[in-house]
Amino acid sequence: MFSRLRIAPRLALLTLLGCTLVLGAITGSCYLFGSRQIEKETQEKAISLAVGTANRIETVQRGVEKVVRASASRIEDGERSPERVRLILARAVGENPEIFGAAFAYAPETVSGGTRLAAPYVYRSGERLAFKDLGAGRYRYDVWDWYTLPRDLGRPVWSEPYFDEGDGGALMVTYSVPVFDGSGADGKLVGVVTCHVSLDWLTDLLRSIRFAETGYAFLVSRTGTYICHPRKDFVVRETLFSAAETNHRPELRAVARRMITGESGYIPLRNLVSQEPSHMAFAPVPSTGWSVSIIVADAELLAPVVSLSRSVALVGIAGFALLLLITLLIARSITRPLRELDAATEVLAKGDLDAPLPAIPGNDEVAHLSKSFTHMRTELKRSMEELRATTAAKQKIESELEIARSIQMSLVPRTFPAFPDRPEFDLYAELHPARPIGGDFYDFFMLDRHRICLAIGDVSDKGVPAALFMAVVRTFLKAIWRDEESPAATLRKLNNELALDNDSTMFVTLLCAVVDLRDGSMRYASGGHNLPFLISPDGGVHQVRRLKGVPVGAMEEMLFEEGTESLRPGDVFFLYTDGATEAMNGAGELFGDDRLEGELKRCAGSTGMRELVHGVRGAVESFADGAEQSDDLTLVAFRFTGPLRF
Amino acid sequence: MFPFLRILTAALMMLLLLPAVAPWAAPPPDAAQVSVSLQWVPQSQFAGYYLALDKGFYRKRGLDVTILHSGPELNSMDRLADGTAHFATTFLTSALQRRNSGLPVVNIAQIVNRSTAMLVARKKSGIRSLRDLNGRRVSLWAGDFTVPFEAALSSHGISPGRRFVQNYSVALFLHNGVDACSAMYYNEYHMLYQAGLDEDELITFPLEKYGCNVPEDGIYCLENMWKANPRRCRDFAEATMEGWRYARAHPEEALDSVMRRVTSARIPTNRAHMKWMLEKILPGILAGPADAWKAGVLSRTDYARAVGLMKKQGLIKTAPEYDTFHPLGVGNVQ
Repeated sequence: MFSRLRIAPRLALLTLLGCTLVLGAITGSCYLFGSRQIEKETQEKAISLAVGTANRIETVQRGVEKVVRASASRIEDGERSPERVRLILARAVGENPEIFGAAFAYAPETVSGGTRLAAPYVYRSGERLAFKDLGAGRYRYDVWDWYTLPRDLGRPVWSEPYFDEGDGGALMVTYSVPVFDGSGADGKLVGVVTCHVSLDWLTDLLRSIRFAETGYAFLVSRTGTYICHPRKDFVVRETLFSAAETNHRPELRAVARRMITGESGYIPLRNLVSQEPSHMAFAPVPSTGWSVSIIVADAELLAPVVSLSRSVALVGIAGFALLLLITLLIARSITRPLRELDAATEVLAKGDLDAPLPAIPGNDEVAHLSKSFTHMRTELKRSMEELRATTAAKQKIESELEIARSIQMSLVPRTFPAFPDRPEFDLYAELHPARPIGGDFYDFFMLDRHRICLAIGDVSDKGVPAALFMAVVRTFLKAIWRDEESPAATLRKLNNELALDNDSTMFVTLLCAVVDLRDGSMRYASGGHNLPFLISPDGGVHQVRRLKGVPVGAMEEMLFEEGTESLRPGDVFFLYTDGATEAMNGAGELFGDDRLEGELKRCAGSTGMRELVHGVRGAVESFADGAEQSDDLTLVAFRFTGPLRF
Repeated sequence: MFPFLRILTAALMMLLLLPAVAPWAAPPPDAAQVSVSLQWVPQSQFAGYYLALDKGFYRKRGLDVTILHSGPELNSMDRLADGTAHFATTFLTSALQRRNSGLPVVNIAQIVNRSTAMLVARKKSGIRSLRDLNGRRVSLWAGDFTVPFEAALSSHGISPGRRFVQNYSVALFLHNGVDACSAMYYNEYHMLYQAGLDEDELITFPLEKYGCNVPEDGIYCLENMWKANPRRCRDFAEATMEGWRYARAHPEEALDSVMRRVTSARIPTNRAHMKWMLEKILPGILAGPADAWKAGVLSRTDYARAVGLMKKQGLIKTAPEYDTFHPLGVGNVQ
């Protein structure tokens, strides 16, 4: 995926990727550790705040309890007359500002026609204390919890909070202590001392509690009823359980059950009002069984951590940008010489070896690469120069060879028909050097009016030396032959001439024949040359008899046997060099004597010697099938058509 | 025409049309002024009356109804006696006691035919059956409210160790002052739930299961009122039943109606509790297809049972004939 990118962006991207991971890890762990720490601190703070608040409430409650119990004790001790009771109550209210009013409800007396209720009540009315009898009107205290609970339970009871209808709807709670005649609950109930405590101070206290920005406190009673809550409509009307029910929050109900059983704790909780993820710390107020809770929004708690993490992230991003810039600069400083080198190499590749290569300072890898390139360029240039010189030399040699070839080719007669005025025979010959300069040759000439000389040869070597040697052989041959007339004698003399001072140790295989055109008799001698074929008009093909004779020019004083043949009209005398029989195809097979013989049979009916030679040559070429040949191919065909008749 | 003028015109037209249909519009001038005294503070127990008023079911029958609430210090029957209310609601047992003590009240509609009264105990206290209440501390409602409870206990031969008078709260039970207390399924039972007691912590003994169903809320008026204005009484009963049917069909609207009154009367309760109350009281008011009783009608058997139980418990000496007590009779109120 990255390999498609160029080096600079790739380097930048990979660096950036690595940095992102590192930065992410740093920010993440910063957030994690920070939030854990804060969570821990918050937990401690929230719990201690809840406990502290609970204790403050408890202290006040205990104070109230003490006053009411003291009053109850005095009444129990005998001060039961309405006047005494009223004094006791007045003192309790007067001396304790947190007590709004106090009453002593006498146990109802059964009188004729029902019960008589009496409950002297002292309460605050502005700055003064007022008095009334709660038993006087329609109000029947003997059916209400503040009276019945202590009576039935036989112990003091804190009531559930309520809105006092008579006093402008103030939130109140009562503490009631039963007074028994005699000892404990077994005794007869004398009455119940109760005092009303306004909870306004509590509302103020809880409202003053702030935790972080929006954290707040609330208070519930022992049945989970809200006593203080920022949502005023919750107070007294809703309980933790009704809230859980309304909002379908069973987990809230479970927490509420822990709260009203006097547990304390710190738990995560979705805020009922704001629906935000929050935490709640709660602690009990033991005297009343109430529970104080502190609610803190998680978002707010984590705000400093979030802000810290954000700063870290911002610094990181700024670092990123800087890093990106630096990486790109470094990457470019590395790749710039490379790109220059690349451009220069392209020019180099087009053949401009003189184009300047960028000079790269320093001793790094790129500088080394540049130096190597310079070195390579120098070597390349030198080698090109050499090649140019060699090529020029070669071209010169080739042109000389071409000239040599045309000279060599001009050494053999190439005009056909060679003797248009001689109808006694038909003659055709071809020489195909395997290389520009060959070692084969053929020749023919009229010895006199009736005799024609035919010669074919193959110099042992190839190339210019062979060509020169061949020229020498041909010159000697023609000169000697005119003197000697006999082929064998000619070969013998030629051999001696060539062997003399033959420092190059070159030799030539040679076959010479003389045909008397008057009767078709033929004499011939061979210097180690391939045996020619005789082809009769009826298609018979055979090689001439083998004669003694070694290649000419190798050693002096050699003897050559001479043979005779009689050519009948229509007979063809076919001469060739080893370029025909030793022609090789791609598979390494030789054309061979047998194939040649077969080919001659096939071409026996040819009308002219040109066609015969072309046929054989075509067969050899198609056998070789384009394979390079090492030997020159020379073919000479002579047909004796018959003596002239006058 | 400007768009706002068009809207204004449309609004004015609607306001002109409203008095004919809107429930909150003034009643026709010839409407009869009647008042009903409900037996307790505002709550879902009276949703049908509220809706009959709010939705205009009274008014369309020519009744201009004022709803009065009673409470611990003011008995609804007293309002009938002193003439401050034309109609009043109360339990059948209370009405029978009033009749016994000389107030000539007649039942013009039996609203709650199936009682949801029950005894509740904590499972933790080891109570598994009604019989386990033997020798236990039990709080029972006083007076005529106690009729079906006493009947259930005595018919099963149970005598609690100590009886406590239960008044308006379940605090004594919550304070573990008693092992069992009386409760209405639609009210006190759910109060316990809202005070943190889980349903699976409680065991309930519905009195109906113990053959002690005693019809509860009914609408009463004085005999002379019934004789002078039978049509008005019938209209009032029918409109109220229509209100209950509407409450069943539109529970949220009914709750809105209830909560409006709860809030203005500063009653310390909540919507969840009112919802529960409405849901649980409705099946005892509007008969389902399987029920043998008819909505609004006091069943002859139930009447006879109530009278029998009360006499047995010495709460009454005499009781009127069924047809005298419930003159509308079967089929007169749907």
